[in-house]
Amino acid sequence: MKAVKIGMPVAMILISLTFLISSFSIPRANLGNPNGPLYFPIGLSVFMLVLSVIYLFNELKTLNEENKNIKALFEGRVLKLIGVTIVLGVIYALIFETLGFLISTVIFLGGLLFYVNGVKKWMVNLIVTFAFSFIAWYGFSELLGVSLP
Amino acid sequence: MEAFVEGFHTVLQPANIFWIVIGGFLGTIVGMLPGLGPATAVAVLIPVTFGMNPTSALILMGAIYYGAMYGGSRSSILLNTPGDGSAIAATFDGYPMAQQGRAGEALAISTVASFIGGILAAIGFIFLAEPLASFALKFGPAEYFLLMLLTLSAIVSLSIGKMVKGFIAMCLGLLISTIGIDAQTGVHRFTMDIPHLSEGIEFLIVIIGVYAVGEVFYNFLTIDKDSMKEKKKVSRIWFTKEDWKRSKWPIIRNAPLGFIVGVLPGAGGSIASMMSYSTEKQLSKKPEEFGNGAVEGLAAPESSNNAASVGAMIPLLTMGIPGSGTTAVMLGALIMLGIRPGPMLFENDPGMVWTFINSMFIGNIALIIINILLVGLLIKILDTPAKVLYPIIIILAFIGTYTLSYSTVDYFMLLLFGVIGLFMKIMDFPIAPLVLAIIVGGDMEQNFRMALTASNGSFGIFFDSAISITLIIVTVLSLFYPLLIKLLRKKQKDEEKGISA
Amino acid sequence: MKKLSLFVLSAALFLSACSSSSSSSDGGAEYPSKNIEIVAPASPGGGWDLTARSVQKILRDNKLVDSNINVINKPGGGGEVGWNYLHPKDSHYLAVNSSLLLTNNLLGQSKLTHEDFTPLATLATEWQSIAVPVDSPYETINDLLEAIKEDPKSIKIGVGPGLGNDDHLSFVQAAAMKEVNPKDLNFLVYDGGGGDVVTALLGKHVDVITTSLSETKEQHLAGKLKILAVSSEERLEELEDVPTLTEEGIDMVFPHWRGIMGPPDMTEEEINYWDEKLSEMAATDEWKELLENNDWDDFYQTSADTKKFMEEQEQLYSELIDDSGLVE
Repeated sequence: MKAVKIGMPVAMILISLTFLISSFSIPRANLGNPNGPLYFPIGLSVFMLVLSVIYLFNELKTLNEENKNIKALFEGRVLKLIGVTIVLGVIYALIFETLGFLISTVIFLGGLLFYVNGVKKWMVNLIVTFAFSFIAWYGFSELLGVSLP
Repeated sequence: MEAFVEGFHTVLQPANIFWIVIGGFLGTIVGMLPGLGPATAVAVLIPVTFGMNPTSALILMGAIYYGAMYGGSRSSILLNTPGDGSAIAATFDGYPMAQQGRAGEALAISTVASFIGGILAAIGFIFLAEPLASFALKFGPAEYFLLMLLTLSAIVSLSIGKMVKGFIAMCLGLLISTIGIDAQTGVHRFTMDIPHLSEGIEFLIVIIGVYAVGEVFYNFLTIDKDSMKEKKKVSRIWFTKEDWKRSKWPIIRNAPLGFIVGVLPGAGGSIASMMSYSTEKQLSKKPEEFGNGAVEGLAAPESSNNAASVGAMIPLLTMGIPGSGTTAVMLGALIMLGIRPGPMLFENDPGMVWTFINSMFIGNIALIIINILLVGLLIKILDTPAKVLYPIIIILAFIGTYTLSYSTVDYFMLLLFGVIGLFMKIMDFPIAPLVLAIIVGGDMEQNFRMALTASNGSFGIFFDSAISITLIIVTVLSLFYPLLIKLLRKKQKDEEKGISA
Repeated sequence: MKKLSLFVLSAALFLSACSSSSSSSDGGAEYPSKNIEIVAPASPGGGWDLTARSVQKILRDNKLVDSNINVINKPGGGGEVGWNYLHPKDSHYLAVNSSLLLTNNLLGQSKLTHEDFTPLATLATEWQSIAVPVDSPYETINDLLEAIKEDPKSIKIGVGPGLGNDDHLSFVQAAAMKEVNPKDLNFLVYDGGGGDVVTALLGKHVDVITTSLSETKEQHLAGKLKILAVSSEERLEELEDVPTLTEEGIDMVFPHWRGIMGPPDMTEEEINYWDEKLSEMAATDEWKELLENNDWDDFYQTSADTKKFMEEQEQLYSELIDDSGLVE
């Protein structure tokens, strides 16, 4: 709980630092003002850094106040739900072009439905998976002419 | 006048009516789907338009374009997931309305707002096309920079109460917009030698990621507790008299605003709807209701972005210059058909232009009918069990992302922005500054530097024209107006206290 | 037992006969044996996409190719993503290309270049134009280049959407030929946000623009701007009043070409197949009409000629990029 509260500003500080440091390794421009491409990213990352530090102190002040969202994040299977979605998404990205749209979509959507909606409702899950995959494939590929693998 | 009537007759030919209805319907559908937008829809139809009568092709493409403006707000209202950049503003009050069980009202009033915006803009097109086209030419790099700055300040002024977080989100968005090749110098910034990144991060991926995927993740927090929540019954599919009373003036006064912003090449619907929203919030007597389901906060940007899509046709047809992604694709398609929009079009082919203008009236009438009929169907989405609906939204987000650049690399980006969106929601960050900063950031920086190159480094160029000065004044006002009002009210209260004491 | 072995034997014979007949039909004589995929390395609607879709349509409508033809969009990295996609594919995949294939490599943005593919044809070209506002003090291209020579910073040159493209490099070449140091040229790069170069010129936010002719021709005919010179060999139809660069004493012809290529190591037969089909396509009335609508010129060259052409072009671009100062 407290880790998330401090984690967010710390992440923002890290992001702004990353942008700031890598701004200096942007190659100098050969045309026009050699430092032209640098000013905007450097100025912004410094500004964001300052704001993130202020934000960190704000969070530290209210560290003991309860945030019901963070609490909910660690309750039940919430983290697992998010994790499973991400893992399935990564798998989808990896198999999408080799297995083709229809098969990979059935796997992704089917997997997600069975996990989120529960195995008990397998009938609904199967119908939705196959109906949706086919309609999406038909709609995008045939009606809209989008080239799907 | 004669040309106008003649054009009207051409529009009423059954074939043309058919194309208007098809285009409007298709536009509404692609507008609703995240990622798919009018530009893609027009592009995939190019092979269909081969061999079509050029006038019908133009009518069809136009109908898709403004049809998508109608559709864009549907998913904003129902799912808190804008279909396109110009539908972001519709999430601010449209989604809260849906949560309060007023989805039917929200869908209906936004349709009517789009309709009025479209019709008013079409009338504006008839009378103002030529003068507005030359007005738009006056916008140089300095003016564009100031226009973007005004948009950003409008966004920031919306984050009152969480200013620090709003600014952080904005900075992050602006930093993300610098990823890619820097146009002025050809230098690669933050691309890490990945060719995919050299053209920058497509803002639509960020929209789909933080809104659609992030929203689903956020809803996972409560998904297993849903049974305890009492489901709000959607009763109405039409808005109340009270809704109309509150919305009618915002709808009418924001149509011209959106129309003018739409005429400016490159500005477009996102900026128009954002500016309308913040204008209405500042004019309102109850600004605290904005963001909590204020009906005018939904109606104003919807009127504005539809008017902007009509405005964007002006530079295309009068000068042959596309002002947005969609009109650029339309230009390509028209050239294939042997029509070259431009200064000669009005002289060489007035019949076609007038037919098109008339088609916008018929098209908007067709669209209001289509969309009102759809309201009853669309609110059924809310009856879909959440546990079935969310997986479907996720998969739609993935497919929509794929159609943007046909690459699965974007899927990883989508998931990353989904997680960012989730934590921003958990920690109560405003999301709009992030997304809008990405949309305007690149142009803002480039125009700033072009202005300075043009003036050989002198900042005087930003105060050089009447347009610049007006934009600066409006920007300053928009930043300090809320503060001013607060001070005045406080003073008033103090005085009242003084009297009563 | 006997019966069974007979059965197995005959079955084996049958199978082998099938497989041998199918393998022979897969042979070179039957190319193409499956769908043809044309890669457009850009989003739908741009020049590359339109080229790919036109080739697709004309080959199909005239029944020149029996196989089904699809267009795949692979945008990103100025063509880089699409060409990377093509590189490992078989000979049923083709891709549209242009000078960016060479310049991406020369600018160090890509490892692939024309030698990594099989060029099949050059299809069409656009010409470049240099234009000024109607009331500009510069009457000829030489007036303009003189003024730039005297004070390079005083003349703002509009170009888009990025440096290193033909619009940019054609101006660099013209300037270099008049002994102007291209590094001193004052370019404003319009990358789409806030309109394009033509809008900028019409609004007088720049003094001169360099862009493809199709962008400026209508405006010139309507008297909204003035084209000082075109990069073609001879004066063009409808623009008889506009001189070529060569006539103005700047000895250069600059095509903005588009072509089509396949993956590396295509066989002789396959190359001959496309030489035949694409030359037939380039001769159709539909193709000619399409060129005219787009203000493109016929630039058809066979595979062998295109290969030679690419080598010459690579030489030219490598010099131009050195001159431009874009890379060290």
